Amino acid sequence: MLIINNIVKQYATHRALDDVSLHVEKGKIFGLLGPNGAGKTSLIRIITQITAPDSGEVMFNGERLNVQHISQIGYLPEERGLYKKMEIGEQVLYLAKLKGLSTAEATKRIRYWFEKLDMGDWWSKKVEDLSKGMQQKVQFVATVLHKPELIILDEPFSGFDPVNADVIKNEILALNKEGATFIFSTHRMESVEELCDNIALIHRSKKILDGPVAEIKAQYRNNIYWLEYQGEYNFENAQALFEVLEHSVIGDKTRLKIKIREQQTANQVLQALIPYVAINRLDEVIPTMNDIFIEKVTEKS
Amino acid sequence: MNKILLIIQREYLSRVKKKSFIIMTLLTPILIALFYGLIIYFSIEGVKGTHSRVAVVSENAALTEKLTSNKNISYHYVEQPLDVLKSSFKKTDYDYILYIPAFELNTPQGIQLLGTKQAGLSLNGRISRDIENIIRNQKLKASGISQTALDGLKTTVNIDTKKISEGGKEQDSSAGASTIIGTVAGILMFMFIMLYGIQVMRGVIEEKTSRIIEIMISSVKPFQLMMGKIIGIALVGLTQFILWIVLTASISTLAVTTLVGKDQLKQSSTMSMKAADGTTVNTAAVDSVDSPVLSMQKSLAGLDLTKIILVFIFFFIGGYLFYSALYAAIGSAVDSETETQQFMMPMMMPLFVGYALSLSVVANDPYGPIAFWLSIIPFTSPIAMVVRLPYGVPDWQLALSMLILIVGFIGTVWLASKIYRVGILMYGKKTSLKEMIKWFTYKN
Repeated sequence: MLIINNIVKQYATHRALDDVSLHVEKGKIFGLLGPNGAGKTSLIRIITQITAPDSGEVMFNGERLNVQHISQIGYLPEERGLYKKMEIGEQVLYLAKLKGLSTAEATKRIRYWFEKLDMGDWWSKKVEDLSKGMQQKVQFVATVLHKPELIILDEPFSGFDPVNADVIKNEILALNKEGATFIFSTHRMESVEELCDNIALIHRSKKILDGPVAEIKAQYRNNIYWLEYQGEYNFENAQALFEVLEHSVIGDKTRLKIKIREQQTANQVLQALIPYVAINRLDEVIPTMNDIFIEKVTEKS
Repeated sequence: MNKILLIIQREYLSRVKKKSFIIMTLLTPILIALFYGLIIYFSIEGVKGTHSRVAVVSENAALTEKLTSNKNISYHYVEQPLDVLKSSFKKTDYDYILYIPAFELNTPQGIQLLGTKQAGLSLNGRISRDIENIIRNQKLKASGISQTALDGLKTTVNIDTKKISEGGKEQDSSAGASTIIGTVAGILMFMFIMLYGIQVMRGVIEEKTSRIIEIMISSVKPFQLMMGKIIGIALVGLTQFILWIVLTASISTLAVTTLVGKDQLKQSSTMSMKAADGTTVNTAAVDSVDSPVLSMQKSLAGLDLTKIILVFIFFFIGGYLFYSALYAAIGSAVDSETETQQFMMPMMMPLFVGYALSLSVVANDPYGPIAFWLSIIPFTSPIAMVVRLPYGVPDWQLALSMLILIVGFIGTVWLASKIYRVGILMYGKKTSLKEMIKWFTYKN
């Protein structure tokens, strides 16, 4: 639904985006990752039409991105706030009307969302009377109220306590199920693994990695397993099968972190051990997105 | 377009609903009306209020039974010697004793005014003027001028200032009223541009510091947001101005009639009628009533108030747009109000200079070259033009000034929008003028 081709954005002395291309599929949750200052916000600002690229193009549902698409995009920026002196209901109504909703329709939807997110009596409260987390909830409602096809969330969970973070996460998943596409920018890798179907990693203005989360993780598998057993076994004999990275003994249990050698498989390891010991556990250590992130970002510098 | 209307609506309503706006809008006309009413009240009360009874002990034949009572002072000639009168003074109902010793008319010395209260300057002045008149008349008679000739000398001159308007018609005008209207309009214009311009700047800074700006401009273009804010606040200013005029006018009328009463107003106007004929004695007293109330009303009628108000509104909108766009640009470039200082000074200077020069040079010489140029250059024209206007400004100058102001504000709005769209997204950076100039080259 969103195709970004060879975007370049140059500020006076600094190139914020250098030939970045992305493909966001409809109905997926897309993670836009990268260290601070990598160019994520610049890219998001181009998608939301706050700024325009110097070269390259953005296609939205097959059309070149234009003003008509503004009402189909919902954006929750990282730097976000509300008018301090304005009543909450009035404020969300204003933002919704700017996105093209009628007063009646917007009011109806605000009531629905306020009820749903446990903020039923907030309509005439002022922003200055709300906590930061409460403000975030209001902003989230304002972002999704006009039922945008594409919802861009920049650090959506910052400022939330775990309970509310969970509430918002479930709302994101529910909206996704109904067909909304998400672009999700965050530093919290555990939420990336939990939510994202695809990711792109931007570092120093360039895209250095992208693809489905499962595939990327598969790529970064390195045949490391946890192995735990009861009984006596001299694993020196299995040198040809695996390399032992860590070794510990807890009671009668032995726990090893092993790296299975090239051409060998977990099955072969099991076959070699079964005659001697009782195996409790053999599971693969899959690299986390956090590991991959750190590896990719540090290897370049 | 619809979006800009929404923004205007929000900017307008959020300000008009504020308590401070409502209080300012209602209180100011009440204060003006009160002030206006008090001036009238005191000028009328002053006339009838200070009445003194003066006992005159005259040892001077030339002045005996010559002082005639008037509205403020009643003279009573007493036969008693001064000492006797002094000792029994408290029992009498006189306010003062005027003692006139014997003297040569050329050297009038030793006149005393005694009383338990210190006599005020105005009473003192009135009495000495009366005595001087008598002495002068005596002297004139002594040099052979008859009483009838003396009476014939008494003339009152009132100059009616009239302007010759197009077509050679005469128009009532008054230099005094023009000055007052011009000055008031100039001060108002200065205040309005300052107050509402700064409101634009505050609004922009508020959006930036509260971080709603990025949410906003993902829905609307920065230019729409800026113009919506500027126009919304302009409407707030106009609302206030119009309410002030309407309220002041109605409250003033109300205040004047209730505070003073219709009879007295009528009385003071008939008195001044007589004064114009030159037949009344009491010119001094009538003058004081005449100046604040009637001359104002009379010469106000001579000025084309509708035109002045319309031109004022035009120049308010034009001058406000001209400056508020610059204020918006400054607001967008900074993170807090304290940072605005370095940009405010160079921007405020022309407004201040225009203000100071308009109220001094332009008001004194409304047709001179300085007045002309100040009312043409868009930085100062909103103030200078409304100061000049009551004196009469040739139509071509008015048109030229308006045209240049329109070009001027289109220019500043364009300039400001270029800075604004970049500035609003810059957080936590100190911006220099140099950097702001660099922003012009950015693509949007």
